[in-house]
Amino acid sequence: MMRLAFSLAGLALMISLTTGCASSTTTQQALQDAKSRYASIKTDSEVLRSAPKDVRRAEETLDKAEQLASYWGSSKDARHFAYLSQRYSDIAQEHANLRSSQDKATQLQLQIERLQLKLREKELRSARERNVWLTDQLFNLGTSQTERGLVMTLGDVLFAPGRSQLNPTANETVLKLAQFLQINPKREVRIEGYTDDSGDGDRNLSLSRQRAQAVAKALSTLGIEEGRLQVLGYGEDYPVTSNETAEGRAKNRRVEVVFSDENGDFVPAR
Amino acid sequence: MKSSYRRVVPVFALLLAGCANDPAPSEQMKLTTQAFSQAHDVGVDSSVPEYSLAKDKLERAQKAMLTEEYKKARVLAEQAELDVRLAEARVLNNKSQTHVDELNKQIARLQKRLESTP
Repeated sequence: MMRLAFSLAGLALMISLTTGCASSTTTQQALQDAKSRYASIKTDSEVLRSAPKDVRRAEETLDKAEQLASYWGSSKDARHFAYLSQRYSDIAQEHANLRSSQDKATQLQLQIERLQLKLREKELRSARERNVWLTDQLFNLGTSQTERGLVMTLGDVLFAPGRSQLNPTANETVLKLAQFLQINPKREVRIEGYTDDSGDGDRNLSLSRQRAQAVAKALSTLGIEEGRLQVLGYGEDYPVTSNETAEGRAKNRRVEVVFSDENGDFVPAR
Repeated sequence: MKSSYRRVVPVFALLLAGCANDPAPSEQMKLTTQAFSQAHDVGVDSSVPEYSLAKDKLERAQKAMLTEEYKKARVLAEQAELDVRLAEARVLNNKSQTHVDELNKQIARLQKRLESTP
């Protein structure tokens, strides 16, 4: 009977020791994890710099966990503090990562500003070159410097005979004109329509205006603001040559595009 | 014999009272709730694993408060606070990383444009 009692007591003791061991193993493991996590951040100068408070708390809670682990019956509390310590270490690490990616973002932002500046300079230079080229092209397409400023003449062949529609052959001219206006945003144009003297004067006046209007419309379709486009019709007035011959009449049927200077100022209209 | 018995009882009672009457962790509950609202402000949600963990712990802490299991409530609330702070830090990090990625893309675009500008 005594023996049985002893062996029962022994068994009970063994069980309690084993469970004690198991729980102390998990506690030791938790402590070990917290310790090595803390060791990995405390030597990282980036972490120390960006999250000193969390590093300190990771240390304090780790100390507390170790202290509690040495007390009998406090292993649960020890694990709790080991958990807190791990979390403080993790948070400190995240803050360091955040800071380094924010620093990186600041650097990249500076790089972007430098690149944008470089690009603007390059584009400006290229626009200037393009402007020179386009101006040349406009001169080739019948633009000349006159006492009324820069004037571009769109010949009769660019229109359907007797009508105001622009022919497809006018596309290149109108496109160049639009490009020129796009890179010279302060320049405006006065679009003036003219006819020969054959036929009814009123009809000629209205046709000249409609042809000028057709050019303005084509330009505004290409994105030029209407405020930069004035439209006038002069009908039979101001012929460039005699209306006696067919050739002369064809020359008189025209649209003239008068450019303002670079500040938007015109020589007054006729 | 009688006098020593009298001395033991109050000490024993004090020990018991100490266990049962862990003070209510109201301050910690407040801190934890604040950490949650700060995390919500930066857009932390259940897609972050640590947040779900924190939320579960907070709910259990609140229940423990109602049943006056204050020790349990404090432990859970303390852990929830750090869990949710970690979740917040992770979200901020992700956002910052996304921002860095976008800036890198912008740089690549600018360089390409620089190359193609005559």
